[in-house]
Amino acid sequence: MNRVWAVAKNSFVSAMRMKTAIVFMLLLIVLLPVMSLTATGDGTVKGRIQSFLSYGLGLTALLLSILTIVVSCHTLSADIKNKRIYSVVTKPIRRFEIVLGKVLGVVLLDVLLLLVFSSVIYVLALQMPRFVKTTDEELALLDNEFFTARTALKGKYDYEMITARAQQAFKNLQDTGQLDENKNKQAVLKELTEAARYSMFSAEPGGTVIWEFENVKPLDPNDSLYVRFKFNASQVPPDELFYGVWYVGDYRQMKNGQETMKTPIYAVPRKDVSKTIREFQVPAQAVAEDGYLAVLFFNEPENNSTIIFSEEDGLEVLYKAGNFSENYVRAVLVIFSRLIFFAVLGVSLTTWLGFPVAILFCFVVFFTGVINGFITTSFDFIGANLALFYSFTIKPIIWLLPKFDENYNINKYIVDARLINTGFLAMALISLAVKSLILLFAGFIIFAKRELAKVIV
Amino acid sequence: MARTNEQYVIEAFSLTKIFSDWWGRSRVVAVDNLELKVRNNQVFGLLGPNGSGKTTVLKMLLGLLHPTKGRAFVLGGDCKDPRISSQIGFLPEESYLYPYLNARETLDFYGRLFGLNSKVRKARIDVLLDMVGLAGMSNRPIGTFSKGMARRIGLAQALINDPKLLILDEPTSGLDPIGTRQIKDLIVELARRGKTVLLSSHLLADAEEVCDTVAILYGGLVQREGKIEELLEEKDKTQITTSVLTERAIEQIKRIVEKDGGQIDVKPPMQKLESYFIDIVRKAQQAKKPTSGAVNRLDVTDAQRAAAMSDVIDKLVSAKVESPKVENTEKLSVVETEKTGTDFSVISQLTQQPLKMPEPVEPVKSEEIITQQEIKKNILDELTKSEENKDE
Ligand SMILES: Nc1ncnc2c1ncn2[C@@H]1O[C@H](COP(=O)(O)OP(=O)(O)OP(=O)(O)O)[C@@H](O)[C@H]1O
Ligand SMILES: [Mg+2]
Repeated sequence: MNRVWAVAKNSFVSAMRMKTAIVFMLLLIVLLPVMSLTATGDGTVKGRIQSFLSYGLGLTALLLSILTIVVSCHTLSADIKNKRIYSVVTKPIRRFEIVLGKVLGVVLLDVLLLLVFSSVIYVLALQMPRFVKTTDEELALLDNEFFTARTALKGKYDYEMITARAQQAFKNLQDTGQLDENKNKQAVLKELTEAARYSMFSAEPGGTVIWEFENVKPLDPNDSLYVRFKFNASQVPPDELFYGVWYVGDYRQMKNGQETMKTPIYAVPRKDVSKTIREFQVPAQAVAEDGYLAVLFFNEPENNSTIIFSEEDGLEVLYKAGNFSENYVRAVLVIFSRLIFFAVLGVSLTTWLGFPVAILFCFVVFFTGVINGFITTSFDFIGANLALFYSFTIKPIIWLLPKFDENYNINKYIVDARLINTGFLAMALISLAVKSLILLFAGFIIFAKRELAKVIV
Repeated sequence: MARTNEQYVIEAFSLTKIFSDWWGRSRVVAVDNLELKVRNNQVFGLLGPNGSGKTTVLKMLLGLLHPTKGRAFVLGGDCKDPRISSQIGFLPEESYLYPYLNARETLDFYGRLFGLNSKVRKARIDVLLDMVGLAGMSNRPIGTFSKGMARRIGLAQALINDPKLLILDEPTSGLDPIGTRQIKDLIVELARRGKTVLLSSHLLADAEEVCDTVAILYGGLVQREGKIEELLEEKDKTQITTSVLTERAIEQIKRIVEKDGGQIDVKPPMQKLESYFIDIVRKAQQAKKPTSGAVNRLDVTDAQRAAAMSDVIDKLVSAKVESPKVENTEKLSVVETEKTGTDFSVISQLTQQPLKMPEPVEPVKSEEIITQQEIKKNILDELTKSEENKDE
């Protein structure tokens, strides 16, 4: 271990003395405070802090990733290229210890830089309300909606109901003789299912939409629930405002009559514009003892328009489930695990490849990580035709690639004050750890077998 | 796994290295079925022209290259085994060091790789820095060092673990005469303490001085191997060394020899191994033996060689020789010189073994030739001394 440490220290010192790390540090040191002053977002204090955190954390993650890639690709390959490795491998150190030491050196650098910059961002973000004039209301809002960590739940589908509705509609068509004989029955059923699904989350004038949730466990029952929604409308009125009433509570009680109600159901009349994310709060007491919660939307008839909630971001219920600092630490941990992954990737690649090829490869991996969702979908699309071939060749490779987008975009969690679930965090860390370990062992094996004095021109 | 033959520190059996390019083409036979046995406590010299495979042999012994065929055992086992590599000191062909570390950090790094604890490290580093004469610059980054200075650090690095076996690839390359002298003394002294040294070198005079056994490589093959005295003992010749003689005296001697029925060839003294080496290489070339290394024209007599070289220089250098070349290489005189002794206390600090007080350094031959190099060395001695004074 002592020897691994010696190699680690050496590669750390190399990164520091060769000014690569210094350049990145200076860049961040200058940019972060400037950003904390210039970030505006949507103009509100919350918007400012949101955009500062989003850019600050994003920039830190980006620059540190680049730095990690550069340093990890350089540290071992330069030793091999400049033959300094000759007097290292001939010492009583195992080859894998050298690889491990190199990785450790880069990780050490990352720990240091990440610690410094994430703390700077944290402190700046907490201090930002003091830079500008902030009212008490705004401060309270910040505490409730930003400096917190909330769990977000999405309404789940009732697939049985959808299929039942589709089948009902199909039967209706059949009975009334409207069924087009030329069409494939399956295709018609599929269309009807789609329509049923769509109608599940849309309300005609005077109609309703209901979302049901289970396992709602707010930290403190005296807290609030936040209902966040966004909708589209078939017709837009002159004032662009839509009227509706939201009912939040244990909807099951309605069936048994008002008298037996144990938990309150809150009614919230609102007027909102379409295509914009909106949010309101209700007391968390609305949640039933068993964690059940329903949200019902009533579309006022005078709107004269069908209101449509999309499947993905139509409605979410948020509630406080943790605190900001803890959540922030989790986000930084996710970033850190990515940096470790790149440290391993770079060093492992250079047990075999030269610096330019290895760094190119790393950047390709990095950017595919950023657009992983797109790649996976497009391959899934192609893969439909070549299912078997695809699932044994390209799919494992894609699996090895890290994911930084969609659900894995941790920046978004912080900006939305959304709790990074322990389960999700563990999965993200474990999956990157497994990938890193696979790469690391590949590196060990290659480096142990490699003829280090062989010159390839 | 471990070999039982304790007698040999290095054993190589039909060691072969064939280099091919990425496609497997263009084969270069760098080492060809080499058999090498280095006995314990030997100072073994690998000699050979450029590209004859010396470095390749050393790299294979150290596991930096995999032999195409054959096997090598170092200290009775595989050199990748940490138990074995912990007893080896290796100085590569050039000093490949970390430019951003300073001298002390460099040695500390290698000391850590050997698992030495910090107290031992510090003590040895101080001694080594002192020995290689860089104690005053231990805080400068190696990247700013001159070639010879870096070489000295490389040497110090090879000695940090008190190795049982020292593998030195051209140890004196890039060193000034003092450094060269020091290394030679060091090797001799280490050998006296039971260490084994395997070195490759071009500098035959140096090799002749320190090695007890040499192998001359050409085209990856050992052309000749043996104890230096045995190799150089030419049974059918007698050598007489005198101070400079007048033409008349030479004529007289010639006449005497011829009267006796012998043959005489008068030339200025030359290092013996040198002529022997050139002879071997010339024979190998004449036999059209294959080599992947440098092939020089090797003329038979000194006069031919000098003329050929003069031709080349004429082509390369515009300035012509004006006055006839003067003397001093041919001048022989008798002087008393004192050998610059190694600081034995240093060595004892490094080797841990109890020091039997060395017998006084081999008495200097009363008649020793002052070559230009030696004169220079003495001057340098003076110069560096005065410089040291200046520093203080
Ligand atoms: N990595 C390599 N790839 C291809 N050929 C090589 C490689 N290393 C050495 N060679 C070839 O092997 C031969 C022997 O090289 P080697 O370095 O062992 O010579 P050497 O005796 O040490 O020479 P020098 O005195 O110049 O140091 C040369 O022809 C060289 O071109
Ligand atoms: Mg060589």
